[in-house]
Amino acid sequence: MSRSAPGVQIIDVTKVYRVGHIDYPALRGVSLRIERGELTCIMGPSGSGKSTLLNIIGALDRATSGRVIIGGVDIRKLNEDQLALVRNRQVGFVYQSFNLIQRLTAIENVELPLIARGTPEKVRKDRSLKLLGAVGLASKRNKRPLELSGGEQQRVAIARALVTQPALVIADEPTGNLDSKSTREVLDYVVEVNRTSGTTFVIVTHNQEVAERTHRIISIRDGLIEKEQHLQRIDMYSKPSE
Amino acid sequence: MKAIDLLRLGAKALLDRKVRSVLTIVGIMVGSAIILALVASTSGLSAGVQANIEKIGANTIIVRGAGGQFTSGATSSFQLSQQDLPQLKSIPDVISVTPIYSRGVSVSVGGQTVSGSLVGVDLSVLPELYKGIGLAEGSYPSPYDPTSAVIGNGIAFPVVASGNQLVDVNQAVSMKIGTSKTSLTFLVKGILAPYGSALFANVDEDIFVSLQAAQILLKTPYYSSIYVAVDSTDNVAAVQTAIQTLYGTQVNIINAGSIASSISAVTSQITVFLGSIGSVVLFVAAIGIANTMYVAVMERTREIGILKALGFKGAQIMGMFLTEAAITGVVGGVLGTGLGFILAYAMGGSLMFGGGGGFRFGGGSSAATPPPTPVFSPELIIFTLTFPVGMAILAGLYPAWRASKMNIVNALKYE
Repeated sequence: MSRSAPGVQIIDVTKVYRVGHIDYPALRGVSLRIERGELTCIMGPSGSGKSTLLNIIGALDRATSGRVIIGGVDIRKLNEDQLALVRNRQVGFVYQSFNLIQRLTAIENVELPLIARGTPEKVRKDRSLKLLGAVGLASKRNKRPLELSGGEQQRVAIARALVTQPALVIADEPTGNLDSKSTREVLDYVVEVNRTSGTTFVIVTHNQEVAERTHRIISIRDGLIEKEQHLQRIDMYSKPSE
Repeated sequence: MKAIDLLRLGAKALLDRKVRSVLTIVGIMVGSAIILALVASTSGLSAGVQANIEKIGANTIIVRGAGGQFTSGATSSFQLSQQDLPQLKSIPDVISVTPIYSRGVSVSVGGQTVSGSLVGVDLSVLPELYKGIGLAEGSYPSPYDPTSAVIGNGIAFPVVASGNQLVDVNQAVSMKIGTSKTSLTFLVKGILAPYGSALFANVDEDIFVSLQAAQILLKTPYYSSIYVAVDSTDNVAAVQTAIQTLYGTQVNIINAGSIASSISAVTSQITVFLGSIGSVVLFVAAIGIANTMYVAVMERTREIGILKALGFKGAQIMGMFLTEAAITGVVGGVLGTGLGFILAYAMGGSLMFGGGGGFRFGGGSSAATPPPTPVFSPELIIFTLTFPVGMAILAGLYPAWRASKMNIVNALKYE
């Protein structure tokens, strides 16, 4: 894969949900090219199809038609196990509701994607602890999610998304449940990771403050891209990546 | 994904819902304990009965006068006497014939009264008659000594004296036959080692005297029974038929081997019956596992969505849930097997046939004989350890499969 290849490319993608005998089109022919190292934001009213688009970009859901190319591979041709592998190796996920497993500690949550891979325990712990340290939670590694604040939980989730060093991170309303201080902290960290390690981010948000920190805002309405707005040049690899 | 991680995550998930896990495990435990205890006790009982009969030997036929009960003729009850010996001996394949006198007696020892049997028999064939019999003290009296006896261990060490020795070698014992007033006295030459009971005889409570002595003292020419030894088990049926031809309904013919096989048929049926009760319990427990797992899968829909989003494959998710089921099965099986051992010994005393039918099978009529020891065959233990695991995995299969097939996007929306 050459460095100039796009991170994600989707070509004329549709997604139709069928409930009973009625079809609900969520995406009606979307084409989009997201460069590697780009920090993109998707905005739109609820029901516009932005989360559906995000899930398709992240290989969580399959398109009804069209092509979805992640890291040079058309994932429409992959079987379930191969898709799982793509999710595990190439994509990280961050959600509004954090989606941490409550009975596991912070560090155990961060370790999960490495467990799926079969990474040896020692390596796994070291890497997870390093990531928790990077989000400022090394001292709270043995706390369970309920013992952490919302901002802290989201930082654990971000550590979990980054522990596999994915090329792409998708985030669905990552700051939706956070106060403005936590929002800023999370955002600062995302921007920093994007800049230092060239990780591609695609963020769905309603928050204008979040949107303004990205390179590009894609607006969606009724399952179609309404407009694209480039905010700043992609400042990738401005620092040597790790 | 490594096996150790599967186990660790499985154990954590089970600990997260302790009460439910414990209840599920208890279900499995009870099932496997019941199977182990019931099967072990009945096979113990069966083995006890077999051992009892083997003391007589499968190629021994016991012939007794039919008494008044079965004779249809006008003559009074038929009884066997010395003149029957040559014709029994002349039947092909018969090795030996041993006549026996036997009367119930009450024995006075050291101021205590013990009930037993006075048995007149050729003392030199005693070891052949009761396999494995041996002396604890003293010696066998000479076959022609009319005043000496060798006594069962239970007469020398009676239960009424809490097992203390009341009679020693070279001491005298006196006894009364039935309700008669006359008392008979013998010099004890030997005391037998504890033996237990054999078919028709509770050797520990017998007083053995020579055939001649019994004949004189009992003032009767009629034997209680004649033991006919056949050269091999294969010929037992033929000899039995020959005796039947000679005497018709005048005698009762009992063959230890056939009793053994009919008893073992009964006990194996009981084993199967009780074993299937245990299996039903285990089956119900398996439904419990399926139910618990199913609820767990529903409750953890969101968690499954998270795991799949993080790149866990369907087979790995299935493996996680099956591991939880398997842990439940292993813990239930191990605890159940342990509990089964305790239960089997506790049940030992209550699972016995009554001894009222005329012959004693150890324990039933004598407090001195311990209850049958449960028999734990390796196959049985392996079964009660592994069957619950297999059943748990089977029960978890469908819920685990459902978990593995879950749609990620829908699962993540699940509240």
